[in-house]
Order: sequence, then C-alpha cells, then structure tokens
Amino acid sequence: MSLLSVEDLHVHFASRGMDNQLRVARALNGVSFEVEEGEVLGLVGETGAGKSLTALALLGLLQPPAVVAGGSIRFDGEPLSPRVRGTRLTMIPQSPHTSLDPLTRIGDQIVRMQREHASVSKKQAWERAREMLAEVRIPAPEERLRAWPHELSGGMAQRVLIAMALVNRPRLVIADEPTTGLDVTVQAEVLDTLRELVRAHGMSAILITHDLGIVAHYCDRVAVMFAGVIAEQGPVRAVFREQRHPYTRSLIASTPKRIAERGFREMGGTPPDLYALPEGCLYRDRCVRAADICVQPPPNMAFPGKHTALCHFAAEI
Amino acid sequence: MILEVSGLVKRFGNIHAVNGVDFHVAAGEAVGLVGESGSGKSTIGMLVTRLIPATAGTIRFEGRDITALPEAEMRPLRAKLQIVFQDPWGALNPRMTIRRALEEPLKLHTGLDTESRSARVRELAQRVRLPVASLERFPNELSGGQLQRVSIARALATQPKLIVLDEPTSSLDLSVRAGILQLLDEIRRETGVAIVFISHDLETVELVTDRVLVLYLGNVVEEGATRALFANPAHPYTQTLLSASLPPDPDAVLRRHPVIGETPSPIDLPPGCAFASRCPVAIPSCREARPPATPLGEAHSAACIRIAEGANLLTS
Repeated sequence: MSLLSVEDLHVHFASRGMDNQLRVARALNGVSFEVEEGEVLGLVGETGAGKSLTALALLGLLQPPAVVAGGSIRFDGEPLSPRVRGTRLTMIPQSPHTSLDPLTRIGDQIVRMQREHASVSKKQAWERAREMLAEVRIPAPEERLRAWPHELSGGMAQRVLIAMALVNRPRLVIADEPTTGLDVTVQAEVLDTLRELVRAHGMSAILITHDLGIVAHYCDRVAVMFAGVIAEQGPVRAVFREQRHPYTRSLIASTPKRIAERGFREMGGTPPDLYALPEGCLYRDRCVRAADICVQPPPNMAFPGKHTALCHFAAEI
Repeated sequence: MILEVSGLVKRFGNIHAVNGVDFHVAAGEAVGLVGESGSGKSTIGMLVTRLIPATAGTIRFEGRDITALPEAEMRPLRAKLQIVFQDPWGALNPRMTIRRALEEPLKLHTGLDTESRSARVRELAQRVRLPVASLERFPNELSGGQLQRVSIARALATQPKLIVLDEPTSSLDLSVRAGILQLLDEIRRETGVAIVFISHDLETVELVTDRVLVLYLGNVVEEGATRALFANPAHPYTQTLLSASLPPDPDAVLRRHPVIGETPSPIDLPPGCAFASRCPVAIPSCREARPPATPLGEAHSAACIRIAEGANLLTS
C-alpha cells in the first residue's frame, strides 16, 4: 500500500467575468500518482502546469475560487483527514523570507509549530527546536533560536523552514521549489541536508521543481505535469533515458546541455487556455507527433517499472 | 575592440559592488559574466551601458572613452549600445502597444519616415518570430517569452554593435528559454552583434558564450575561453561553483566541493582575496593582498596565489 495515493484529482477555478458569465478554469484535470514509503517523488512542469496547486490541494490549503471538483486523496490507506496535515504531512514553502513571521524569533516559530499540533511544554518544545536546528546544520543553534528572520541569510532561512516542516516528524513532506531563490553553491548544500534527513528518518518527500538537474540527482521517481495532467511518470533513470511522452522529450531536449550536444529542436506554442481546454490530448497543439487520433483522449500507457505516459504514441516513441 | 573596461569600480554608499574589473569585448564576440548574487555582474551591465555612473575606472566603447560622457553626447551612442533585462514584464511600458514600443527607438535614433518605420517594425517582429497581430497588443496580453522577444527586437531596432543581456532567460520556462537562446544564436550569426551575457546559470553561459569571466564579490576571479575554463577551472571558487551545478542526467557523476558558509557582505571587504573566508585551500597570505591574475595558458587566467605551488586544485 502506498503512503499517499492521489486519484483523478480535479481542481477548478470558477469566476464571473465582466459580463457576469460564469467561467471555469480547469487547472487540474485528473491527476493521479502515488508516493511510496521512503521515496522522493519529483513533480516537474512549467509555470501553470499545476505543480503547486497539487501541493495546495494535498494540504487542504486551496482558497476560493479554487475548489476540488473531484477525485480522492488517500494517506496511509485512509481518506486524507485534516488531522494529518501539519503533523504527518507537512510542507516546505518556496520563498524563505516571506514564509517566516518577521516579528517572531526563530525559536518561537518552531515552538508554535509543535504546540499547534500536540500538547508539549514550552520548555520541551524549545529543546526540540534546538535539536532541529542542529539537525538542519545551522551553526550555533542555541543562539540562532533567538535570531529574528531578517538576521538570517537566504540559505539559513531555508534551513529554518526545513526544520519547521520536519519538527513534528512527518511521514511525508512536500517541498515546493525549496531552493529557487538560492545561489547554486548554497542550493546544493540545502538539498543535501534535506535528502539526508528524509533518508535518516525514513520519510517520503514530494519535491516540486522546474529544474531537471534537481530531479536527476535528488529524486527516485518523477512525474511530469502539463496543463493539469501528469503527462508521464516513472523512475528517474527510466524517464531520462527513454522518454515516452513527446512533452517530456521536448523538455529534456530544451536543457542547455542537450542543446549543446544536439542543437536546437523546434518547439513552440503555449500551454492551452485553461478556460477552454480542447478535447482529447491537451498537448496536441504543441506536439510534433500530433495526428488525427489525438482528438481522442489519450490512454495512459504502462511500461515496465511503473513507468506510464499519457499518449497515443507512447509505445512508438 | 567594441568595449574595453579597465579598473572599473562602483560603490553604493559603503557597499563595494564592483572592485576594479578589467575586461574587453571584441567585435562579434559573446562574453559571459557569471557569478552568484552579490557578485556585481548586473551592476557591471548597467555601468557599461552608462545607466549608472562609475565610481572609478574607464569604459571605452569603439575606442571612445564614454565613462563621463555628457548625456547629450551619450544619446547617439545608445543606439549602438543596448541592454535587455531579466524581467520583460517590467521592461516594457504597459500603456504602449508593442508596435509603439518597437517604433520608439526608431523615432529617437533614425531619420526614417512613418512608412519605412512601419516596415522596419514588421521586419523586426518577423525576425524575432512574433506574430504580426501581436504588434497591436499591449504587454499584458503577451506571454513572458513573447515579451522577451519584444525586448530583444527593441534592442535590435537600431542595429547595435553590442547588446548586454542581463539574465535574459532566467524568468522563463525551459522550453520558452530554448526558443530565446535559439533566437540569440541566429541573431549573432546574422548581424555579428557582440554580446555580454550576464547569468548565474552556468549551463546556459557555456552554451551561449565564447569567453567567460567569473565574478565573486565584485572581482574577476577567473577568465578564459569558455571551453577551456569549464574544462579546467583553476580558481577554487570556480571549481566550487561548477561542482555545485546539477546536470540534467541522473548518470552524471557529481564531484561536489563543499564550501564554508555563504557569500559575505560586500560592506567590509577584507584586504586580500575575497573568497579566502570560504576557501578550503586558503593560507594566511591569501588574506594579505589582492591576488594578481596568474596566466594559465592562452587567454585563461585566475586570481589565486596558490596556483604557483599547484595547491589551488580542490580534491574530494
């Protein structure tokens, strides 16, 4: 049994236009994936593909006008309950400096995180916060507990957020672009720390990123999102070696390394309009392989090793 | 030489942003400026295009000293010296149609009449593969990739000799980014324009440039032909930086060099090597004086005193 299993998740945004007509943007269109115990899943895709939205839906943090329009989320075999969120399922948000409360010392924020979800004494929680800062390799944790967020560098602030997400010992942590604003040298160290802790405590993680390098080196499996569907998913090695979906193929071909090796490949177009999604394959307007059959909904073709691709031609690619 | 910069210094109050940088760009050449935040790369871009004044040093454009040229004399030169910024949403006037945005530099810098301007605008739009219909649109109606194409078209409008590109693809998605890089590649081949490509993305710099300068806290720590420098980085900082990059290939072996801490504040710079506080092979004399550039072969040099004894190479 998988730790997390998401099935056919749909999220819609409903709004009224200037003409008072109801317009619905279909942002997630049947997302299904699983996360196994101890596994790191990379969720990649471009802006608007629905990566962060998937995370927010899992955490129950969707705000109107976004609504879950269908599908199920099961955690540890049970329908995901709100009690799980913040304790067994937590999140590392994207921008370190806007995610910390600027008027509260670091230590108090980590204490609050614990006391919100369990009855522990302030003293115990403070002690645990110190341990946690040491675990995420913040030097001089005792002093840092009394620091204000603005006194921390970007890398340190990101480590504090990791500490906050892991302090309640979750079984699954969702990291949404955890290193996007950081310098490359710092990024690598923060990712190393995260990976070590995830392994040491037997946790699972979902790593949301647009960086294929991070996926290649820090994830076990990868799910590639496009227009609110998972175009392809599978073990990282298998997907990098044999892309089964034309979108994954074009993504990998767009990395500077591949361009240097093989030259520029034509790719164009923009993601489809979420207010007026076409029938059939959502990628077909951009796809080099598109054919008449692509107006039919594509099958989710399966390949060895839990590798699947949502494409009529997946077996031929 | 299109651009020659020597002893360039820029201070913002007590912040030492650029601390004595020398470099040059030959006609048609693509030179990369790489570094992390606070390295001074964007400041250099704004200094050489005279968007901000230099504190010290000289900037020569086509042989002419433009460091302190009065704005009235600078203006005609701006046609030949263009810049494209990272954020295309912020770079275009939201109340101007794309057509007007592209026409503006033509009005300012050329004597073209209305009809030939209109023809030139269409030609530019086609060149950057912008649908002609989008000329009548406003910036908020276009995607980021399309807006960056508009910015590039606007920079090209007056047939410049040099374009400074400051992180031109950093805010764009991967597949859109590839399209912009391809466009730049075509434009270089066709027009022979020289470019200064500023980026923190090592892989993109490796793809785009002929020569590269690695910056750290406002100093050039290493420079050389892109291929040579990426193959044999000599400065401990360059080695660390390159080792931290994550190639999009799960089978690529990573040989990561750990560093100590993060980039220090550019307010109180130490007298010696700026990287000494984080460098695993630093010795006491590194902190005494600024290390001179040590030549390492053709057009490749690094500012590290440990090269002489061969102790600059990081292991592990």
